[in-house]
Amino acid sequence: MRQTPLFEEHCARDGKIVDFHGWALPVQFKGIIEEHLYTRSRVSLFDCSHMGQFILRGAKAIRALESMVFNDMICLRVGRCRYTSILDVCGGIIDDIITMRLSESELFVVTNAMPYAKVSRILHRLCSAENVTDQTAKIDVQGPLSRSVLLQAGLDDIAPLKYFTVCRTQWKGQEIIVSRAGYTGELGYELYVPQELATPIWSELLSYPEVHPAGLGARDTLRIEMGYTLYGQDVDESHTTLEAGMGRFIDWDSEFNAKEFLLMQREMGRYKVRTGIRSATRRAPRTGYEVYCEGKPVGEVTSGCYGPSVGFGIGMAYIPVELSVPGTRLTAGPKEMEIETTAFPFYEHGTFRN
Amino acid sequence: MDPALLRYTEEHEWIGEEDSVLVVGITDFAQEQLGDITYVELPEVGRTVAKGETVVMVESVKAASDIRAPAGGTVCATNGALEEQPELINQNAYGTGWFFKLKSANPEELGNLMDADAYRRFLDANED
Repeated sequence: MRQTPLFEEHCARDGKIVDFHGWALPVQFKGIIEEHLYTRSRVSLFDCSHMGQFILRGAKAIRALESMVFNDMICLRVGRCRYTSILDVCGGIIDDIITMRLSESELFVVTNAMPYAKVSRILHRLCSAENVTDQTAKIDVQGPLSRSVLLQAGLDDIAPLKYFTVCRTQWKGQEIIVSRAGYTGELGYELYVPQELATPIWSELLSYPEVHPAGLGARDTLRIEMGYTLYGQDVDESHTTLEAGMGRFIDWDSEFNAKEFLLMQREMGRYKVRTGIRSATRRAPRTGYEVYCEGKPVGEVTSGCYGPSVGFGIGMAYIPVELSVPGTRLTAGPKEMEIETTAFPFYEHGTFRN
Repeated sequence: MDPALLRYTEEHEWIGEEDSVLVVGITDFAQEQLGDITYVELPEVGRTVAKGETVVMVESVKAASDIRAPAGGTVCATNGALEEQPELINQNAYGTGWFFKLKSANPEELGNLMDADAYRRFLDANED
């Protein structure tokens, strides 16, 4: 398994290490629910150094990327972040990514661990992107107190950052990138730092009493409560971006490889769409559970868990559009647990826009 | 319950006698493996169960797993507190985290299960 620059730190703090798409990462330190609730009320640090990071330089490279994603990249203003997906011609999601305009000529792209090999090849060939994954650590600082902690740590430049913006700044004289995109539903910042800075920053941030480390387990339950997808589990090449429920992000005025296919799919309107589901109890729908409507199989659960901040079982499933209307009663799993479709997010008190 | 006096299955259930009924739960090792437990489905009181029959369903943040009866008998009580506080299993697997009580026609059945020493050796042998 590949190790992030923070691997020793995780072991020293008794992190329970698992294999996440070839990376040795902590799934939990003290416990998933404790870390989940802590993130909602204080600040947690997540090591996300397994994610891919690329820099595209020049209008030609940025325009090339635009041909494979569902929205505008050229017009993305300096300092702004945008969620998009790299698509195949049939609208299948090769990766869902965050793009950030660092300067007039630079676009910073953050990708997922699972499709890394394929995506790095595409970005290399299509955009001559510089792959900085191996030189960069990504530390996510998430929770309502994250701003105050980073300001105490001397990162004054992050004060004006609004949701989905990015800036370059310095940590003790060395350049780092800070974005405010998040994945937990709470106010949060992502620090992209040179590898050698990873341990000093991680340790210094953990020296604040309100900051605890958290693992992939809490990251998963936090994102499910927000209805956010995990690449390789909820979205992949076998689902189009419309099916994944990302239709509202598509810029239909933009020209891109999958546009015709997606227009046709939108026109026909008959597909399975990623839909929020909840149970009436603490029991959780689970990945792989079949979904039934009046006894007939109609779809499949891709993610599910007990939602520690909502108090009941939640998840997402691909089901026919006509059944996806909130309030539809269905069943799921071998024991046919009762579920109801519902709008995202499940958790509505997140501080991510504060 | 005193773990030293209990009997154990290879599926990490414990069973012990208290006030002439059998009490069933899962071991500390099992709760540790499951992680935070979030949901428990208990059997109905009065149900007759055979040894090895699935009686309880436990869900944790990581997985769902079935718990089997370590001995046959009639369920005479269940730990209703687990429905609202499944974390009791994580906090106190041999105490407030018990699952159900059985009236057994044949308590000698327990003799076939591991005692505390044998269970400890079983865990050691299965460590990676």
